[in-house]
Amino acid sequence: MEKLLFPFVSIVGQEDMKRALLLNMVDPGIGGALIKGEKGTAKSTTVRSLAQILPYRDTVEGCVFNCDPSRPDRLCPYCAEKLAKGEKLVPEQVQMRVVELPLSATEDRVAGTLDIEHVLKTGEKKFEPGVLAQANGNLLYVDEVNLLDDHIVDLLLDSAAMGVNYIEREGVSFSHPSRFILVGTMNPEEGELRPQLLDRFGLSVDVKGDKDMEMRMEVVKRRVAFDADPAKYTAQCKAETDGMREKITKARELLPKVVTDDSIIRAIVSITTSFGIDGHRADITMMKAAKANAALDGRTDVNKDDIRAVAALVLSHRMRRRPFEEAAFDTEELERCLQSI
Amino acid sequence: MPPVDLRSFPFSAVLGMEDAKRAMQCMLVNPNIRTVMIRGGQGSAKTVLARSVGRICGKNIINVPVNVSEEQLFGGMDIDATIKEGKAVMQPGLLSRADGNIVYVDDVNLMDQRILMSLLNSVIEGRVVLEREGVSAEYTVDTMLIATMNPNDSDVSSHVLDRFDLCAYAAFPQEDDRKAEILRRNMDFQKDPASFVSLYKEEEDQLISNIVRAQKILPLVAMSDDLMGVSVELAMKVLVDGYRGDICMINTAKALAALNGRDEVMKKDVEEAAMLCLAHRRNYVQEPPPQPPEPPEEEEEDDQDEEPPEDQDQQDQQEPEPPEDQDNQQQEPPPESPDMDFQQLLDDMVFEIGEQFRVVDYLNDGPRKVSKTSAKKGRRMMVESSDSSGRYARSRVPVDKTHDIAFDATVRAAAPFQKGRDHEGLTINIQKQDIREKVREMRAGCTILFLVDASGSLGVRKRMTAVKGAVLSMLRDSYVKRDRIGMMAFRRDSAELVLPPTRSVEYSYRKLEEMPTGGKTPLAQALITVNEYMTSYSRSHVGEMCYIVIITDGRANVALSEGANANEEVLKLAEDMVIPQVKWIVIDASAGFIRFDNAEKLARALEGTYFRLEDLNADRLAESVKAVIR
Repeated sequence: MEKLLFPFVSIVGQEDMKRALLLNMVDPGIGGALIKGEKGTAKSTTVRSLAQILPYRDTVEGCVFNCDPSRPDRLCPYCAEKLAKGEKLVPEQVQMRVVELPLSATEDRVAGTLDIEHVLKTGEKKFEPGVLAQANGNLLYVDEVNLLDDHIVDLLLDSAAMGVNYIEREGVSFSHPSRFILVGTMNPEEGELRPQLLDRFGLSVDVKGDKDMEMRMEVVKRRVAFDADPAKYTAQCKAETDGMREKITKARELLPKVVTDDSIIRAIVSITTSFGIDGHRADITMMKAAKANAALDGRTDVNKDDIRAVAALVLSHRMRRRPFEEAAFDTEELERCLQSI
Repeated sequence: MPPVDLRSFPFSAVLGMEDAKRAMQCMLVNPNIRTVMIRGGQGSAKTVLARSVGRICGKNIINVPVNVSEEQLFGGMDIDATIKEGKAVMQPGLLSRADGNIVYVDDVNLMDQRILMSLLNSVIEGRVVLEREGVSAEYTVDTMLIATMNPNDSDVSSHVLDRFDLCAYAAFPQEDDRKAEILRRNMDFQKDPASFVSLYKEEEDQLISNIVRAQKILPLVAMSDDLMGVSVELAMKVLVDGYRGDICMINTAKALAALNGRDEVMKKDVEEAAMLCLAHRRNYVQEPPPQPPEPPEEEEEDDQDEEPPEDQDQQDQQEPEPPEDQDNQQQEPPPESPDMDFQQLLDDMVFEIGEQFRVVDYLNDGPRKVSKTSAKKGRRMMVESSDSSGRYARSRVPVDKTHDIAFDATVRAAAPFQKGRDHEGLTINIQKQDIREKVREMRAGCTILFLVDASGSLGVRKRMTAVKGAVLSMLRDSYVKRDRIGMMAFRRDSAELVLPPTRSVEYSYRKLEEMPTGGKTPLAQALITVNEYMTSYSRSHVGEMCYIVIITDGRANVALSEGANANEEVLKLAEDMVIPQVKWIVIDASAGFIRFDNAEKLARALEGTYFRLEDLNADRLAESVKAVIR
C-alpha cells in the first residue's frame, strides 16, 4: 500500500520554500529549486508532498518518455516516427509526478541503457529508459543532492542544460527529451554543492526551524495528529489540497497573459547589477519568477511585490559568498532598486 | 514466538543500561519510532543488548555488516535468474529480509556515510527505491533499526545522528559489584545457556506481555497541550535543529506512558523522553566554553559533575537537562599540570579572526602556484578502489583477469551476439570478450589536521589574528573541497585536540574564535602528540591521504628533557617522524623584519613544504608576482 504523505497544505510556515516550489510548478522554465537548510525542517516532506498538488498535463498516450504532444520539436524518436508516418499522437491527461533519484542510483539506470530482454528475444537493440526518461515533464527530486556522485551529477547537468538526454553506451545510441523541474534538498553541514550544479538551480531557499514557540507547537501537533491517523488527516485536508492544485492550474493558464512593463525590466536589471551578479541567467530567472508569482496571485501585471517575493530566491545562491558567513540578503538595497518603479 | 533461542543473551539478564532498554521498548511499542542508537564504549554490552531484543518481540535481527555494499543491502541484479530468464531480474538485498524484522548495525560510525543515509531513509520511509545495475524497483519495508557505536572512534555527523529517533548512552559500569555480577551472569550463560535462559523466562515473558499491552494502549494515550508545550520548550532550550526532536519526544513520551500501563502522558514521561530524544540533537552552542583556560577551582567542580549518575533513578531528576556528551575524549582530557603558571592564565587573550582570503593550493603545490579551479579539487574525494570495496560506479572492459564482474554490463555486452552463438540449452551464452568488470569508487578523501601554535609569542602585534584568518581561509577551502578537517592547538606545555577530524565545519569556526592565546611554545610536545594521534588515525583510515599543517613561528621554548635546547630537540624529533600517508606543511607565522628561520628548518626536517603566512593569500601572491614581473 502506498504510504500516505503529509499534506502540503498543512505544512506550517516555510513560506519561501513553498513559494519557490509553487513558482516552478507554474513555470517549469524557472529552472528548479534548491532547498538548503538545517536537518529536520520538513524539506523532504514538503517536496514529496508536492505529488498531491501537482497539476495535470498532456502527454502522448503510451509513451514511456512522457512526450508532450503539443511540442513536435521535443519528441522521442518513437513519437517522431509516428508523426512522420502521418499517425496521430493521442493526447492523454496525466498528473505530474515527483520522480525520485535515489543517491545509490547507478549511471545505467539514470541515463537508461540497453534492454537486455528485448535484445535476447529479437536480436535487436532497444533502449531501456532510465530515470531521466521518467522525469521528462515531471519533477525530479534529489534528496541529499550534495552527496550525489559526480558522474551522476554530470548526467543531470547535461540534461538540465539541453532538455535532452543523449545516450552513447553499450552499443546503444539514442536520445530523448528530458525536461524536468529539478528540485534538490541538502544540509550544507554535509558539504557544499558543486558550483556548476548550484548555478543550474533557478531558485534557492535557506530553510530554518521556527524559533517561535507557538508556530513550533503547531508544527508538532499537526505532525502528531497525522501520524496517529494518516488517512483521516489527509481526508480532512482534501478540499484545501484540491483548491491548491486548482490555483496552480489556473496560474499556469494565466501565465502566458502576464505582461511586464519597462520599469519592471529596468528594476530587475538594476537589482542584479547592484547585487553584483554576473551573467543574464539571474535576470531571466527573476523575470520568469516574478511573472509566475503574479499569475499565482491571479494577476496579469507584474508589480513591486512580485519582485520583493522572488528576489531573494533568485539571488541568494548567486551572490558571492563570504566564508562561513551566512549570505545576508540586503533588503534595503532591494528597496532602493525598487524605488524606480 | 520462535523456539527458545540459545544463542542470544536474555534481554532482562543484561544488567543496567536502563536507557538503552527503555529506548528499545519504546521503539517496539510506537511504530512512529523507527531508529535507535546506542552509544557506549567497548565492553558496555551494547551489542549483547541489541541482539537480545529479538527475544522480547519475536522478530529476527538482521545483521548488516558495516562494509556492506549497496547491492547487498538494497538489491541488485540476480545473475542466475537473469541468465535463465533472459531479462533483468532483481536480487533482493538484505533489507528486503528486514521486512517485519529489525535491522542491526554494529559500529555504525564506520559505515560508508552515504549508504548509511540511504539505509536510514529507507527505514524511516518504509520503502526502498532502487535504480541500480539495470534494476529499477521500489519495495516497501517495514522495519526498525538499531545501531551501536563507540563514541571514542570517529563520530557520525550530526546530520546522520538526527535521523536516529532515540539515542541512549551506555556507560561501562565502574562499580566492582556490578562488574562481578555481569561476569557471573556471563559465565553462567556460557556454561549452560538453556538453564540460564529458563532462569529469566518469567521476566522475559512479563516484558513481552507488557510490550503487547502497551501497543494496544498506545492509540488511546492522550497528551495534554501543556505537556506538549513542555516538550517543545525543552527542544528549543537545547537548540535542536528542526522538529524531529520535538516530535520524537511526544512519540516517546506516549510510548513510555503506554509501557507504564497509563493512557495519559505524565511529566516524568516527558522527562525520560527528553533524555532519549534531545541529548544527541542538542546543539553545541549550549556547551560550556572549552575547558583549557579554566581556573582550577572550577575544574574540581567539573570533576564532581563527571561522576556518572548512572544508578540514580532518572525519575527523580526534576530538571531533565540532557546529559552532557560524556565522550571519553572529555573524560580523559590531557590533565593540566597542577603547578601551572597562574599569571599566564590571566594573560590569556582571545584574538578575533583576521582577514580571510582565497588560499593557494598549499597541499599540492609549491608556494608559487595559485589555484584557480578550486571547484575541480572537490573531486579528489573519489578515488578508484583497487579491491572490491567501494561502490559500483560504472563498468569497463577488464585489462587483466577480474574477480569483480559487472554482471549487468556483461549480459548487455553479450546480448547482441546471442543469435550467432551456440546456446547449449542456456538463454545466454557469455564469452570472454563480453566480460565487464565493475569500476568501484571509494570516498577515500583527504584529512587535514591543523596544528596551531597558540603560544604567547603569536600574541605579539596581534599576529594571532592573522593566523586565525589564515586558518579559517584554509578551513573554508577544505570545506568546499569536502575534506575532513581537524584542529589541534598547542601552548604552555601540551597540545590539545580542539576539533577531531570532521567533515562538518559549523563547529570549527566557533572553536577557532574561542581559541585562547598565551603561554610558552611546547613545539616538541606538540609533535609527539600529533604523531601519536595521526599514526592511529591513519591506521583506521586506510587509503586516506593525510596532511598535517603546522602553523607556528617555530620558536620552541619548552624542552622535553630538562636543560635541553628546545629548538634542537624539535628538529631531532622532526627528523625521526614517520607517519604513514602523511604529508607535512609548515606555515611560518613569524612576523617582523627580522625573520627567524626556525619554521623553515622545521619544514626541512619534516621533509615538508614551507610557506610564509603571507604567501597563502592567493590574491596577494598573484599581485606580488605581477609586481615582480613589472
